Amino acid sequence: PTAYTWVLNLIVNMFLSPCFLCFYVKEYQVKVGPAPGPQVQLSAARRKNLEFEPLSTTALILEDRPPNLPAKSVEEAMRHKQEYDEMVAGARRRELKEAQKKRRQMKERFKQEDSIANAMVIWNNDVLPNWDCMRNTRRVRELWWQGLPPSVRGRVWSLAIGNELNITPELFEIFLSRAKERWKSFSETSSENEIEDSGSLQTDRESSLDLIKLDISRTFPSLFIFQKGGPYHDLLRSVLGAYTCYRPDVGYVQGMSFIAAVLILNLEEAEAFIAFANLLNKPCQMAFFRVDHDLMLKYFAAFEVFFEENLPRLFNHFQINNLTPDLYLIDWIFTLYSKSLPLDVACRVWDVFCRDGEECLFRTGLGILRLYQEVLLQMDFIHMAQFLTRLPDDMAADNLFSCITATQMLSSNRKWGQVTEVNWNSNSIFEKWASI
Amino acid sequence: MGSDEAYNFVFKVVLIGESGVGKSNLLSRFTKNEFNHDSRTTIGVEFSTRTIQLKSLIIKAQIWDTAGLERYRAITSAYYRGAVGALLVYDITKHLTYESVERWLKELYDHADPHIVVMLVGNKTDLGSERSVPTEDAKDFAEKNGLLFLETSALESTNVETAFQNVLGEIHRKVSSKEVTRGSISAVSLSSPVPRAAGDPEEKKPCCRNL
Repeated sequence: PTAYTWVLNLIVNMFLSPCFLCFYVKEYQVKVGPAPGPQVQLSAARRKNLEFEPLSTTALILEDRPPNLPAKSVEEAMRHKQEYDEMVAGARRRELKEAQKKRRQMKERFKQEDSIANAMVIWNNDVLPNWDCMRNTRRVRELWWQGLPPSVRGRVWSLAIGNELNITPELFEIFLSRAKERWKSFSETSSENEIEDSGSLQTDRESSLDLIKLDISRTFPSLFIFQKGGPYHDLLRSVLGAYTCYRPDVGYVQGMSFIAAVLILNLEEAEAFIAFANLLNKPCQMAFFRVDHDLMLKYFAAFEVFFEENLPRLFNHFQINNLTPDLYLIDWIFTLYSKSLPLDVACRVWDVFCRDGEECLFRTGLGILRLYQEVLLQMDFIHMAQFLTRLPDDMAADNLFSCITATQMLSSNRKWGQVTEVNWNSNSIFEKWASI
Repeated sequence: MGSDEAYNFVFKVVLIGESGVGKSNLLSRFTKNEFNHDSRTTIGVEFSTRTIQLKSLIIKAQIWDTAGLERYRAITSAYYRGAVGALLVYDITKHLTYESVERWLKELYDHADPHIVVMLVGNKTDLGSERSVPTEDAKDFAEKNGLLFLETSALESTNVETAFQNVLGEIHRKVSSKEVTRGSISAVSLSSPVPRAAGDPEEKKPCCRNL
């Protein structure tokens, strides 16, 4: 009996090994065509197997046992044949299913590629040449919402972000060379004793330049684009370094590396810098990157107004569990979702952010909460906090975007801008009072 | 890798084609003379350089390889930006991978410089008995579309060197004959290792490159 078991195990194992299955099914498709009788399949498989595998599996299961072992009974032989047929049928089913799935995916991909290509033509021929008069038309806004084609994304972002700061490529070069000098002197002096007479501002700046090095290796590590030795490592360092010298009052703040990286993926060096500096100059980004606590609290408060309005049940659940928005919003806003969402989804959020401004960031946050509302309602504080800081990486853009669409940025007839404005005003009064 | 070598040009070359056709192995055969039998799927970008001598010039090939293109639309633009050469790879034993060549070509021309040098590469000639794409078909297609063409085996190291050499040679020919107007193929070098060599097809002193 142990010998039987051994032979049977061998047969089963060999049949279940993936290489045999693929190879068998492929052979069967080529030589036999669809829906043949089992007999035909066997001979086809046997022929091929003998060529490649000296220990033929089909021969083992279909042939009699060696003479030193008891012969198979008729029943047993039948059973073996039946088991064999079942395994073959199973393999065929799996292979067919796999092929169907692959075809479906291909079809989906082709469809997506075609719609991107069509959109690209419209953007290039109609919209971009007439940017100023077309950007706010309904047609363009709808096209925009569908996501920008990668080939025009950088240009549209640049145009939408604008260049209020009037930064020129030459100015970028100046700040870049300043950063390079500082890096150079930094690496020279760091081996010696630190310079005593450097003011506190100087040391701050230097430490912020050092922080850049650390953060770059942690920026989209799975892409291998920005890490040391990667194609855009130096570029990311340049943009961040130049910014640190351009705005020493802000310096480098963690989270910036993600924003710069996303821009670099879509824009040339100087353009990326210009977009980066102008983007960070927007009120909401300035509030966060300068870590202006009061202003940040105002944003969180406004967010909560719309949170309660849109998702009262979840809002209540968060309140009971003492889950405050700073716990998840800081991460989302600092990196403009590029760290928290799958990169493609994040880029679509950026598209809309460029179209709609800061309101979009908070609306996206509410969209995420809506998307996972049912899951979150089942969780306690710690699980919710974990979930929101590590969102599922299989999130589909379309699901999120329908949740964003369903989110109304209207509270008691007030829009986002009005709600935040009220908060600002009360803030400035408070500040005046406090400063007296 | 080799960032301290002196060179005259940096050419960015991208590898494209369906997954499983052997792009990563072509890359590792060319840059490291290695072949990996059970190579993983490429996630994100694999990036390698190799410096070769072409007549009296030293050319640094900066080669990008990704499977992520289908997966991440977000890196499409960065992938093609500044590329002056492309190897469009299919598997000679899998006809479907050849059928999608046209799609890849379209994607390439949608995103890359129109003067990009493209070679159609039929890989896996070591599996000749299972061939399903006739050489002539592919050759005709390449001719009609103005592509270079070669069949290779990354496993047996057949034609891999030649394929890359031909592409780099053709890029150099285009650049030095000024067939291409300045500005369009000017992105000869990427901004990363040689920040400002780009606009200039003139020979460049390989000093002052590093920060």
